[in-house]
Amino acid sequence: MSDLTALSAQLIEMAGKAGAHSADALSIADSSDALRVRHSKIESVEHEDSRGIGLRAFVEKQGANGKQLAFASASTSDVSDDGLARLVGQVMAMAQISEADPDAVPPLGAEHPDAQQLAEWHKHHACDASPWQFDAARDAALACEEAALEHSSRISNSEGAESGFGRLRVAYASSDGFAAGYEKTSASLSVSVIAGKDDGMQRDYAWDRQLSAETLRRPEVIGREAAQRTISRLGASGLASGSMPVVFEPRVATSLLGHLASAVNGRAVLQQRSFLADALGSPLFPAFVGISDDPDHPMGLGNRLFDGEGSRCKRLQLIENGSLTSFLTDRYAAGRLKTMPGGHARRGLTGDIGIGCSNLIMQEGTITQQDMLQDIGNGLLVCELIGFGVNGVTGDYSRGASGFLIEQGRITRPVQEITLAGNLKEMFRGIRHVGSDLTWFGSMAVPSIAIDGMTVAGQG
Amino acid sequence: MNSAKQPASGNPTHIRIPENTLSEMLHAMTPAGADDADLYMQYSESESLALEEGRVKHVSSSTHQGIGARVIKGEAAGHAYTDCLEPAALMDTARAARAIASETGSRAPVALHAAAPAHQLYRPQHPAMHAPMAGRKALLERLDGFARSLDPRVKQVFANVSCSFSDIRIVRMDGAEAHDVRPLVRLNISVVVEQNGKRETGSAGGGGRFGLDRMLDGEEAERLTREAVRLALLNLDAIAAPAGPMPVVLGPGWPGILLHEAIGHGLEGDFNRKKTSAFSGRIGQQVAARGVTVVDDGTIAERRGSLNFDDEGTPSERTVLIEDGILTGYLQDRQNARLMGMQPTGNGRRESYAHPVLPRMTNTFMLAGQDSPDDILGSLKRGIYAVNFGGGQVDITSGKFVFTTSEAYLVEDGRIQAPVKGATLIGDGPSVLTRVSMIGNDLELDPGVGTCGKDGQSVPVGVGLPTLRIDELIVGGSEA
Repeated sequence: MSDLTALSAQLIEMAGKAGAHSADALSIADSSDALRVRHSKIESVEHEDSRGIGLRAFVEKQGANGKQLAFASASTSDVSDDGLARLVGQVMAMAQISEADPDAVPPLGAEHPDAQQLAEWHKHHACDASPWQFDAARDAALACEEAALEHSSRISNSEGAESGFGRLRVAYASSDGFAAGYEKTSASLSVSVIAGKDDGMQRDYAWDRQLSAETLRRPEVIGREAAQRTISRLGASGLASGSMPVVFEPRVATSLLGHLASAVNGRAVLQQRSFLADALGSPLFPAFVGISDDPDHPMGLGNRLFDGEGSRCKRLQLIENGSLTSFLTDRYAAGRLKTMPGGHARRGLTGDIGIGCSNLIMQEGTITQQDMLQDIGNGLLVCELIGFGVNGVTGDYSRGASGFLIEQGRITRPVQEITLAGNLKEMFRGIRHVGSDLTWFGSMAVPSIAIDGMTVAGQG
Repeated sequence: MNSAKQPASGNPTHIRIPENTLSEMLHAMTPAGADDADLYMQYSESESLALEEGRVKHVSSSTHQGIGARVIKGEAAGHAYTDCLEPAALMDTARAARAIASETGSRAPVALHAAAPAHQLYRPQHPAMHAPMAGRKALLERLDGFARSLDPRVKQVFANVSCSFSDIRIVRMDGAEAHDVRPLVRLNISVVVEQNGKRETGSAGGGGRFGLDRMLDGEEAERLTREAVRLALLNLDAIAAPAGPMPVVLGPGWPGILLHEAIGHGLEGDFNRKKTSAFSGRIGQQVAARGVTVVDDGTIAERRGSLNFDDEGTPSERTVLIEDGILTGYLQDRQNARLMGMQPTGNGRRESYAHPVLPRMTNTFMLAGQDSPDDILGSLKRGIYAVNFGGGQVDITSGKFVFTTSEAYLVEDGRIQAPVKGATLIGDGPSVLTRVSMIGNDLELDPGVGTCGKDGQSVPVGVGLPTLRIDELIVGGSEA
């Protein structure tokens, strides 16, 4: 048992002695390093060590219809004996204030991974022992920025390149005797450069994030991508308003999957705060669309053995033949929605348990992005989205965008200062193509997506 | 395990690290040629109660403490953060912050001494001191009942009251030590309404750096609840917003997010020192219509964005960014100010001890003009009157910014026609204020809800605006 797992288990025992009906605890230890270079010199070096623990305790209360459970949660970065004692005292006091919920699900009897599954996981997800190497990280950042700056004389400035590495250890324990932990790492490399001058400046970037530094794309490849993207935006201008098909390139198509995940969040569904609250089983997308949540994928930074309630995570075919098969649930939402718990409890140290995906993966299609542009003829290729104009209750969508005008199947010029508007339900239904260019972005994998009939506003 | 101890009495305490340990850390981390260095100690507590489905069933708290060590030389900065306060870990942290320096010599040790006193803009105490949890719970229950009593179409009520205090100690390279206790409270209400199977939502919130007892008493909580219900019901009848360029009138207060996105970020020192901002090198140039004056003011008592001093120990200031249309200033932390040969403006901020300092806004607003709000609205032949907004975002380099309406109306011949659905407005930062043609006499600051994100760091901010007419912005509706 690791120190963190023991810490979580110790806290459960303390909560029990303090009179809790049941409790669960999550400990997190994070060690991360980052290094940034700009114009070939080190600009910033960061090192962080942090550790914290969060406790959720349930207490029994006498209600009108018998005994019911209430709970409270608290976290601290002070893991001394005094700190833990104070934490337990706070949680128990707050649980007395908290209102009982007849549907509360105590942390007992979840479907935890068994010993064999734990052993298998550790075998297949071994983490690198000595991951952060300052010199290698610096050299990667330097090479990445240099490749971007040297790609073209039109690259006029740099926001720098950054290498990072993080190691996260997580341990969970609950009153039913389950206590286990796992470890994950992530390495990243990114660069952002500027082309043009004065009024005509443009910035773009490229990045990669993987489980280890060895599997990152080569620094030169990332640098060149950033430079090419930046240069291609030079001379961007407006575009006259109109209705047109829009192609979302993979890096912005991820946001569409994000909106879907928020809308099928079981908690939002229970609260009637989702435009998909009544959509279970209905064809949301054309039949060729498939989307899965996969907690154990060789590329996935969202891999997890168990969720924030210790429930074993399993693969879920969220969208099958275009239809919504399930909402995302923790044990509470599953109980209320009368489905099997999905293992989607998401938990940090602070605040409540939420619901979220592990790795969200869209099934790729067979058409290349180029053929997609050919097929739609005239429209828009979107490469960047800004703003927060999505109404989760109605699905109404309106965001700022930039990208490229497509005329007769070809990219003709960069466009900016435009907006895209529609409604997510209609956008999902209006997907015309899903591309063959599946691309991973940490814990999401998405290809290009073409959507018919969006409203573009701008000045052309 | 850490060595911090509770004091015998009084508030939960700040971090206690012996003075000689701090001196040793500074000595160990600061190379002889360093331009700047500091230690940032933070102890913070936060509490939150949330109501849904008529029950306050989410009650939580968190306690965090830690120390950040920072060394600056030229354009480079070394940072190390730890929440382990044992002497050995502290010295490791100090040495890690030195990673940018190749030289081995250190600056001579310094004695710690109190920095010059700064403002006293808020009470240095826990905001929940006179507002026990049971009282906060009762408030949320009262608001739930109140919201449902306002209209039978109210189906869901979510109410959240949260508070935090952060005890901050900064020791600078010269040994000057600054101390601040920052309270922060926030109340949020949102409702879901339903009519003929159609659902909509509305929300309202408020807060600042004062005691929670003020939220418990008085009418503000009820006013926010009425506002959330009003917005949700209004949205039930909203029609699709138009699409394309048109004149826009912004209401007073929170629509000041326009300034935050279009102007404020682009004037932060780091972007201008690196010449990556659309505003780079434009000081002295006209970037707004005559009559437009925009300030960033961290010195307003009890405002959400206010600070006695920033996270580098510089007292907060009122900085004029645009004066009568002319660009006059940038927002600076110490490093960027030094590199640009300017003075720091009290805008060096960090989300916590575990984040680097960046130049950030405090409370950013436009001063009032002469026009009556009615005249401004009346001048609108066909356009949008936008009173409330959600969030916004900006591309610093191209200067393009967006902000999204949450309450807006289609106006024709100076008269409000119908509410329109949320639409994103997009414009160009360096030119948008040149299209200002009328400025209201009704400056308002926002109710205390702003949070600004930059490089993954969130800090509380404020904005403000008088009623304002902009002759052209692109409205991102779905009605082309």
